[in-house]
Amino acid sequence: MIPLFNSDHLLDRRKFLNLGARGMGALGLASLAQPGLLNAAARRHGGALGDPHFMPKAKRVIYLFFSGGPSHIDMYDYKPGIRKVHGIELPDSIRQGQRITGMTSGQKSFPCVAPMFEFKQHGQSGAYYSEILPHIASLADEMTLIRSVNTEAINHDPAITYIHTGTQQLGHPSMGAWLNYGLGSPSDNLPGYIVMISKGRGGSQALYSRLWGSGFLPSRHQGVKFRSSGEPVLFLNDPPGINRDSRRAILDSIKAVNEAKFAETRDAEIQARIAQYEMAFRMQASVPELTDLKSEPEHVFDLYGKDSKKPGKYAYNCILARRMLESGVPFVQLFHRGWDQHGNCPRDVRYQCEDIDQPTAALVKDLKQRGMLEDTLVICGGEFGRTIYSQGALTKDNHGRDHHGRCFTMWMAGGGIRKGHVHGETDDFCYNIVRDPVHINDLNATVLQCLGLDHERFTYRYQGLDQRLTSVQGARVVNELLA
Amino acid sequence: MGFLIKFLWVIPVLAVGMALDQVRAAAPGEVRFGVHVRPLLSHYCIQCHGPDEGQRKAKLRLDTRDGLFGGSGDERIVVPGKTAESLLYQKITSHDLDDRMPPSETKKELAAEEIATIRRWIEQGAEWEGHWAFVTPKRSNLPEVEHRAWPRNPIDFFTLARMEANGLEPSPETDRRTFIRRVCLDLTGLPPSPVAVEQFVSDTDPGAYERLIDSLLASERYGERMTLAWMDAARYGDSSVFHDDGVRYMWPWRDWVIRAYNDNKRFDEFTIEQLAGDQFENASLDHKVASGFNRNHGTTDEGGLIEEEYRVEYNVDRVKTTSNVWLGLTMECAQCHDHKYDPISQKEYYQFYAYFNINSDAGNQTRNGNSAPMVKVPSMAESSELQQRRDKVAAIKSERAKAKPTEQEMDEWIADNRTNELPHPPEFGGWQFLGSFTGKDKNQAFNKDWGPEKKVDLAKGHGGKKWEARTYEDGKVHTVAIPDRSAAYFYRTVKSSMMQEVAVSLGSDDAIKVFLNGGQVLAKNVDRGPAADQEKANLKLAKGENHLLLKIVNNGGPAGFYFKLGGSGLPENILAHLRADVLKAGDITQLCDYYKKSVWPLGRELDARIKSAEKAVTDYDKSIVTVMTMGDLAKPRKTYLLERGHYASPKKDEEISPGIPAVLPALPEGAPAKRLGLAKWIADDDHPLTARVAVNRYWSMIFGAGLVTTVSDFGTRGALPSHPGLLDWLARDFADGGWNVKRMLKQMLLSATYRQQSAATAEQLRRDPENVFLSHAPRLRLQGEFIRDNALAVSGVLNGRIGGPSVKPYQPPRIWNEVALNGGLFYKPDKGAKLYRRSMYTYWKRSAPMPNMMAFDAPTREKCVIQRPRTNTPMQALVTMNDVQFVEAARVFAQRVLQQGGADFDSQLDYAFMLATARPADELRKRVFRNLYDSQLKEFSADTKRAGELLKFGETGRDESLDLARHAAWTTVASAIFNLDEVITKE
Repeated sequence: MIPLFNSDHLLDRRKFLNLGARGMGALGLASLAQPGLLNAAARRHGGALGDPHFMPKAKRVIYLFFSGGPSHIDMYDYKPGIRKVHGIELPDSIRQGQRITGMTSGQKSFPCVAPMFEFKQHGQSGAYYSEILPHIASLADEMTLIRSVNTEAINHDPAITYIHTGTQQLGHPSMGAWLNYGLGSPSDNLPGYIVMISKGRGGSQALYSRLWGSGFLPSRHQGVKFRSSGEPVLFLNDPPGINRDSRRAILDSIKAVNEAKFAETRDAEIQARIAQYEMAFRMQASVPELTDLKSEPEHVFDLYGKDSKKPGKYAYNCILARRMLESGVPFVQLFHRGWDQHGNCPRDVRYQCEDIDQPTAALVKDLKQRGMLEDTLVICGGEFGRTIYSQGALTKDNHGRDHHGRCFTMWMAGGGIRKGHVHGETDDFCYNIVRDPVHINDLNATVLQCLGLDHERFTYRYQGLDQRLTSVQGARVVNELLA
Repeated sequence: MGFLIKFLWVIPVLAVGMALDQVRAAAPGEVRFGVHVRPLLSHYCIQCHGPDEGQRKAKLRLDTRDGLFGGSGDERIVVPGKTAESLLYQKITSHDLDDRMPPSETKKELAAEEIATIRRWIEQGAEWEGHWAFVTPKRSNLPEVEHRAWPRNPIDFFTLARMEANGLEPSPETDRRTFIRRVCLDLTGLPPSPVAVEQFVSDTDPGAYERLIDSLLASERYGERMTLAWMDAARYGDSSVFHDDGVRYMWPWRDWVIRAYNDNKRFDEFTIEQLAGDQFENASLDHKVASGFNRNHGTTDEGGLIEEEYRVEYNVDRVKTTSNVWLGLTMECAQCHDHKYDPISQKEYYQFYAYFNINSDAGNQTRNGNSAPMVKVPSMAESSELQQRRDKVAAIKSERAKAKPTEQEMDEWIADNRTNELPHPPEFGGWQFLGSFTGKDKNQAFNKDWGPEKKVDLAKGHGGKKWEARTYEDGKVHTVAIPDRSAAYFYRTVKSSMMQEVAVSLGSDDAIKVFLNGGQVLAKNVDRGPAADQEKANLKLAKGENHLLLKIVNNGGPAGFYFKLGGSGLPENILAHLRADVLKAGDITQLCDYYKKSVWPLGRELDARIKSAEKAVTDYDKSIVTVMTMGDLAKPRKTYLLERGHYASPKKDEEISPGIPAVLPALPEGAPAKRLGLAKWIADDDHPLTARVAVNRYWSMIFGAGLVTTVSDFGTRGALPSHPGLLDWLARDFADGGWNVKRMLKQMLLSATYRQQSAATAEQLRRDPENVFLSHAPRLRLQGEFIRDNALAVSGVLNGRIGGPSVKPYQPPRIWNEVALNGGLFYKPDKGAKLYRRSMYTYWKRSAPMPNMMAFDAPTREKCVIQRPRTNTPMQALVTMNDVQFVEAARVFAQRVLQQGGADFDSQLDYAFMLATARPADELRKRVFRNLYDSQLKEFSADTKRAGELLKFGETGRDESLDLARHAAWTTVASAIFNLDEVITKE
């Protein structure tokens, strides 16, 4: 059937349900959803879908995003033969005339560089992991390593926008916003989509609010950024001099007048406003509780490593993320910055891995211990990989690597994901995919699949098109990644 | 009520298969192609049987008349009156699932009632209609209505007819207090003052409404209000969007828009100037500034970029924005392939694109300021200052041209210089030595200023070294002990009785620099032994004491220098004349000219003044803001269709010329093949889209939803108009009435439709929950900017300055730095009055926009947005309760109320409500807020420290004569008022 309503004029689900729906978001999918798939306890509210399209394997997502372009070559995509290419010129048969960024396109020579790290096989699959990722390597039997992720973009801004929103064009919603729109959130006192940012070492590429933005979806679906200094959520704290009793008294007076106004006008928007003020009041209590790590036992900090007591660090955010997931937040994304190794690649990739290795593994293990891993989807990766050839001079112990979108490595674990599996293969130069490519839109389609959503049916009418997270150009669910 | 409407109420909403827009436009029983059938075909069939040639299956088109009624024999697609012979109908009802349309892999399925609609259309004769929006509107006749006393102007006939046809009655007129607040918010975004309210309430003259509206339209606040809406459409920002998202200056364009609205510039001119102002013959500065509309898009400065990729992207954005904003067309859908739903081919897309593709801006732009093409936009004051400075240069130059030395002084100079001696030799002081300073290498020793080069102060040492007097006789080579790679300085005073130039002869081991009065006159980085007369330097001595500094750098081994006064420093040809035994007339002329140009003290002084006046012009000119404009390349670039929309895949076998989609009226004969031609075509009185799209946008601004709810999509997938006759009547009236925006708005605001009360009855909600038929006025939450502006206005701190550079009000710390490139960018809030400007002037950084506005649905403005969503979230409550901007406004509001609202709480509360809602507080509000006030007064009296903290929040000071506890308690009431639904809502 035709999606009921065009979407340029956006109101509120409540209005839609109570009153009918002129101008509401396109809910063609709503009628296709199978009611009753989720039990009452797991039911979310505020989602346009009501229920997913089919039984979800994952109820929540933790997305660990390393921005800048982590080097798949130095971290994951190892093959013993790679040592043989060290120092040789990148063959034309490999480059295939493909475009490279303006930063290295003027280079006269493209000497290949094997990773300057040792690699060992881990787990049942025997997948190789770099020595700089000892903790993540210990997850080998939990995850599916995807060595054949690819994107057309070759620069940060377009690439990071593409992987988050399904297109390099601006104005589209991020994955988290899509999920928040479609599935809502089971939490009554926390946002359904939370983002946290930590710095790496050295410089970092810019991020943009569009990466957690709602694009053409109603703006309440945008990610709420939690902050490491000052108020954990913007404008959360009462102003100086206003204590909780004063706040309650003020809210009661607002509510009394708003209720009178509702009686007079019958405008349902007022009832919604009363409810939102109450939720704000609850958030003022629940957020500080959530972000206060005092109740965490010492062995948890030990698990997450040396940075785990330092606010603003990735390790600290990993603990916060676990607490959020436990409190019912269905989508949490951590950004860790500083993965753009144009120079000093051996030193800086090692530094960056020191930041993320232990906490990342700890988070997965912690979720597992708490019985949450089986229905939590863990996604880990960046916007692209890096070139096999050196940017700038290759010396005995130093080199750089430029951006590389034709293949890079990501991994997923938890709800719905195959355990101990390696998917996809690149050539001897870690340059082109030779088997089982996974485009970033295929990856996103697969993520939606884990959450019980058919990416082709999960649409929103905007500017005449039934828009999707996975773009209208088509994408496929990669079933081989699924358990 | 039509049967379809009834149908809607008896089954659950989620299972309804008809778009509401179709339902509401339905005449009972009659099925119309344009209204009922095309949307079905568009949704289910057109993707494979439509305009996109690449996707078309079975060579079948269902979006054209020929296609739909084509076929032959048994294969006729639609046979009027005969479903059994219509292949279309057979296919959608086939029992063979493999044969059935649409195929299962599309995951689309026609509902039974949708199939019934198609059946009835065929049975009723299958009459074809073109897409309504592509046909030039005709002035509609006013419909018949029963309740003839109700309409106040033509608009009301259309709305009333729809109400009556749907069993609804208009609501009563709203009271005057509500009306004046409503119309003030609609036209200015600001609340009325209590004085204006009382005046309007007591003005019983029938013309009061019109006078009120006229005065608001005449207010400069009107231009600001209209501009804010336009800024979303124009994707205005103060930053460049991509990559570093650095600063840019487009605010002069924004100020042009404010002026254009306030001057009531005709909408057709408003259109043409913004799309092609730069192409006007003798384009004025204003015309060029206007063309900045299409430079507001995002630009990049990313290091690794491929320029062409972004240059294409900018033009793609221009096509999208221009077609969305003016034409309500989703042209962008045809960038990669033919449009799937609307009759726009990919080739036509690139014809439209070709108008923009010859613009001269580059793919790689800047992260710091504006990129070419741009123009300087001086303010009136700046223009006049610049002119004054230029006049000054001209004045001195003319003085210089007129001034002449007397013959007597020239003769004296010639006579003095005929001898070989200097007429007035300068007096040299004794030498002072400072050193030595050892560098990393000889070059550093030479290049680095070790202390005295700008200015010598004998009392001041450098690097532990002090000046010491030394004796070196002039005219001899001296050896001085200077270590390797080291510099030493030699200083002496030079007293001159007049301004004159003298030459000195120098030698050095090794490198040498000479400074006179802090300016370098010689630099020679050489390796050599010292000797006489290795260098010559001219010293332009001022009258009085001059300061001469030598710097000698020893590269290695021994070191030394030589110094001797070398005569007049005059050029050889002049000296030759002076030495000649016989002076010819021509020689004298040359000598006089030389004197006048280079020696004559007054002339040299004038030259110095010209130089400094010219610098003053250049410096000032540099400080004048620029704005980016459109501007075509001198030699146009060729346009090709880009395969799959990809910048690197031009189809070079066919060059594409500028043009417009064939489904729309043709360009006039001889229209120029450049943007100006396009702009004039768009602004044509008979363009089927432009006027409709514009009046629909105004309607949606005032009534909360457009007559076409998809305000930027009038294509076949867009919504159908709820009041087609009204839309066409307004569009025709707009174009025929001179594209007069103020007149159009005034008409809407004077209608009885607008004057209705906004409260709905249970019956209205039941029959028409979305108020499609406009039987009451809307209640709409204000947009974020107006919520903030209202708080500022009500509290009295609003700074009413119009236009100018964007400002930086309060923002929580670290918002920029957290996402900025290398974390290097920090937001520095302004101080004082700039904190209280209207929100439209807030600096808009598009990668990290102002969070309090984002909470209220402000778009990032990375892309054109024509209608904002209107959501209701807890984050909004946190902003208005806790953001320092709102808390500060509340305490200033409280202060205003305590100072001006009378002695007792009730009169104070009345005053506060008059300011915030245009009416005094009723009994309920008095009871509620008296309770709040009393309880908080008790708390704050017991804890005045807490009161003091609250009253210090924000920059504005407070009236210290007010009792702390009372002020704080009132601040809680004021803050509660700012959070009331009725205060943040237009009622």
